[in-house]
Amino acid sequence: MNDTKLADAVKIGLTEACDSLSTVHLDMPASEIMARGDEARRRRRMGALAGSGGLAAVAVAVGLALPAGHPAASHPAAGHPAAGPGARLAAWTVTRQAEGTIQITMFGDLRDPAALQRALRADGVPASVTFIGQQNPACRVIPGPVLNGKPQRPAALDRVVPVPPHKVPKPAHEKVTSQDVIDMVIRPSALPSGDGLQIAVMRGIPQGPAGPWPYPKGSGDPVSEVSLVAASPQCTGTGFTGT
Amino acid sequence: MEKDRREFEEFYAAARDHCLHVVLLSVGDRHLADDLVAEAFTRAWASWRKVRGHPAPRAWVVRTALNTHVSWWRRRRREVTLGSQDDAVAAGQHPGLDSSLVTALRRLPARQREVIVLRLLLDLDTATTAKTLGIPSGTVASHLHRGLAALRRDIPALDYQERIR
Repeated sequence: MNDTKLADAVKIGLTEACDSLSTVHLDMPASEIMARGDEARRRRRMGALAGSGGLAAVAVAVGLALPAGHPAASHPAAGHPAAGPGARLAAWTVTRQAEGTIQITMFGDLRDPAALQRALRADGVPASVTFIGQQNPACRVIPGPVLNGKPQRPAALDRVVPVPPHKVPKPAHEKVTSQDVIDMVIRPSALPSGDGLQIAVMRGIPQGPAGPWPYPKGSGDPVSEVSLVAASPQCTGTGFTGT
Repeated sequence: MEKDRREFEEFYAAARDHCLHVVLLSVGDRHLADDLVAEAFTRAWASWRKVRGHPAPRAWVVRTALNTHVSWWRRRRREVTLGSQDDAVAAGQHPGLDSSLVTALRRLPARQREVIVLRLLLDLDTATTAKTLGIPSGTVASHLHRGLAALRRDIPALDYQERIR
């Protein structure tokens, strides 16, 4: 059989195999794809402006800005309830929204990541919260794809943390600007079964004029990082397997 | 900008499932294919003005997804311990994923697989395949020939199927 006939046979075979997948659909809405693309484009532009090669490369960074006006919390009120209408702590709030998402807002220098971790777990989010560089060694990060040698955020992570932080609506009761806070929305229902979140926040976020999101000006380092991890008692606590 | 958004939304609605099916055939893992195709469409939107002028935007998306997979796999081989079950092929649910032809396709070297996918599954001509992959037309023909020869060796039944048609 010559190449043309063989190509025809292969084409028919592959087309039939493709047709057998007619019930398989890509579920991600266009709006989410475009939001991610907008974010990538914005990071690329900022990368060009800042002249920092690392800026666009670290796609796992989710976080925001320098605290320009909010003093660091010296005594995080870890005893405050995390559920309900919104637990306002000295440095951060965790608020469960009506649609089931969890909003974290950090107003300044996070001093007690364990308290934030407890609040998230109390709200049903299997999470490990630490400072950057001190991530729990028991946590196994689930890597995303790599494009042109650069790590990309896993699509599943974008479903769990669906809105770019700079687009998170600010709490109505807080008079803050987007330059002052780290905002993050978590959709626990989108967590793949058996997965959890690892959130790492920079210790001692430097004071000063706000730099480009999500990196302190000139440093090239993210203020916070979010990763998907395999949930385990040692990493994210127990009792949650996703819904 | 609004026109761009509408165009992309229409393209995404029309092409997303087809691109997913093609990539799924090539990589064999549903969740990975989801991630790769979503990432490729994200990049398509981030570079939409370039992609919409491409002679075959679907092929651009598929090639980007498959390139991402190659990079992901190289990195993963270094980072993940042996014995991981993450790559479980979603066979059984979709018998087409487990056919001898699809299995043989996945065993081809990446470039031969890309050429066969673009030329035969997406029905691109040689020139467009060459432009999409950034290689000369002669190289496309060469990869196609080698890929088909490998499939013929792997699946002698292909000759038989062609004879009985």
